[in-house]
Amino acid sequence: MNELEKLRAKKAHIQAGGGQKRIDDQHNKGKLTARERINLLFDEGSFVELDTFVRHRCTNFGMDKTEAPGEGVVTGYGRIDGRMVYAFAQDFTVLGGSLGEYHAEKIVKVQDAALRNGCPIIGLLDSGGARIQEGVNSLSGFGKIFYRNTISSGVIPQISAIMGPCAGGAVYSPAITDFIYMVDKTSYMYITGPDVIKTVTGETVTHDQLGGAKVHNSRSGVAHFIADSDADCIAQIRNLVSYLPSNNAENAPEYACSDDINRSCPELDTIIPDNPNKGYDMYDIIRSLVDNGEILDAQPLYAKNMITCFARMGGKTVGIIANQPKLMAGCLDVNASDKAARFIRRCDAFNIPMLTLVDVPGFLPGTGQEYDGIIRHGAKMLYAYSEATVPKITLVTRKAYGGAYIGMCCKELGADMSFAWPNAEIAVMGAEGAANIVFRRDIAASDNPEAKRQEKISEYKEKFNNPYAAASMGYVDDVIEPNESRIRIISALAICEGKRQSLPAKKHGNIPL
Amino acid sequence: MKTYNITVNGKTYSVNVEEVGVGSAPTAAPAPAPVAAAPGPAPVAAPAPAPAPAPAPTAAPVAAGSAVVTCPMPGTILDIIAKVGSQVKEGDVLLILEAMKMENEIMAPCDGVVSQISVTVGASVNTGDTLVVL
Repeated sequence: MNELEKLRAKKAHIQAGGGQKRIDDQHNKGKLTARERINLLFDEGSFVELDTFVRHRCTNFGMDKTEAPGEGVVTGYGRIDGRMVYAFAQDFTVLGGSLGEYHAEKIVKVQDAALRNGCPIIGLLDSGGARIQEGVNSLSGFGKIFYRNTISSGVIPQISAIMGPCAGGAVYSPAITDFIYMVDKTSYMYITGPDVIKTVTGETVTHDQLGGAKVHNSRSGVAHFIADSDADCIAQIRNLVSYLPSNNAENAPEYACSDDINRSCPELDTIIPDNPNKGYDMYDIIRSLVDNGEILDAQPLYAKNMITCFARMGGKTVGIIANQPKLMAGCLDVNASDKAARFIRRCDAFNIPMLTLVDVPGFLPGTGQEYDGIIRHGAKMLYAYSEATVPKITLVTRKAYGGAYIGMCCKELGADMSFAWPNAEIAVMGAEGAANIVFRRDIAASDNPEAKRQEKISEYKEKFNNPYAAASMGYVDDVIEPNESRIRIISALAICEGKRQSLPAKKHGNIPL
Repeated sequence: MKTYNITVNGKTYSVNVEEVGVGSAPTAAPAPAPVAAAPGPAPVAAPAPAPAPAPAPTAAPVAAGSAVVTCPMPGTILDIIAKVGSQVKEGDVLLILEAMKMENEIMAPCDGVVSQISVTVGASVNTGDTLVVL
């Protein structure tokens, strides 16, 4: 065997991972192997593997005789639609993808390189957790990874996909990254598993009920996207990367736009129901406004009263934050505020202009919300919007009341351009409530209180429940016809393209977390 | 047959509650229509079945595999569209909840058969209350 053959044999051996039997097991669970996932993720033939030959140095518990090809993780870089991206994929066929000292070192090396070179990094996670034989060395490995996740946050996009188990401390690496994908039925995330829960609290719960893809996408808000299969998950990640810049010094890539930027949207003229108490689907408005009706919905199953999605307008990425009047009246509650605030900060970190669509009746009242800290959570939205220096465009489609109006990126929080549709109601509160308070004495003193109440309600409506009061003071830049919304928003985004705004020098702000 | 006197807004109503045999199908708690024609009938209907031995609508334990539709926010039930025993598809509107001065459609989270409707029109509901069981 010559040297070339030796090299090839060595690589082939490592690339076989944990061997055919374990690969078959992986396939039988409906999962792909680490290398199959990597090959799907990157443009064909573009993946370059690093640290193929790295080996652990553990000698405890017979580990000196245990071989772990590739140290249970495949790391390297490649191209996604031609753009350079780093990735690591844990290999469940090798010691259950467990994280030991050198497994961690391989991940740390690509994290450092991704940060240095300004490239996104994608982690495909499928691991039983810490490699217990390596003791505290594996914990040190986790610590190094979390630290780099944090330092890289806001510099390069970090995307995590949970494609198998991810339990205990390991969950905190994806938790710090920008986006979490979970594959339905084959992935789960939790701090403590069903067995521990059973011993400690007596609760009986399955892996899926405790930390499955559906739970984290709809209930806990930990995950942002759900996928049917490994292949679907990876296709979704590739799509997400197309909306993001490679790092915080760049803009998101621009794509050729086949949808006319001067397209009128006549369907929007009749989209708002005549009855102001009726809901409508905000997605219909979003799809009309954006290029080809295409959106990438982030956290579509969580806090559905708030929509956060990416789309393109005139070929350029825009982040959309919108109330959904169809669900929970589109009100702001704890979860909706959290969801929006995090999305706003993602957009701002990665130079993605924001479009805010407002139809909000207010913050949700009640002891539940107050005890859960709606003051603290709602404050995050105000903070995130105020702090964001990317172009901010706001369109009020209908209701914009009180504190919630302010929270949905009004002019004062720094909206560069603020529009309203003619039926918009920009006011402190609805006419009924306002009339009852302002004219309480008049109504009480009247011979016919009900007639007086109605009269005062109409009077208040006439005066304030319209966009013109706000527009007359410049709080709204223009009242526009719904059909011209796309044209006007794209024009507003264009005029703001050169926006430069710097905040006072500081270490970092103190967002009310 | 048991007779209860129930006072609503200072007005006393006499309500007769009849024990239904074990074999008869538990229908949604029938509102005592004859006496409840006066203003504010809804509150009468709710407390009435409680002392009666008749099957209370909320007593039945939720069968395994069923989906419970809970109330997302405090409000009032404006309209009930779903009917017990009817087949519904994911996204079908089950009832209308008035909250934040908006008519909110409460939709089925999955396909199924409506096995129980736990609220009546006009009822005040809170976050987490069971509305419908599929």
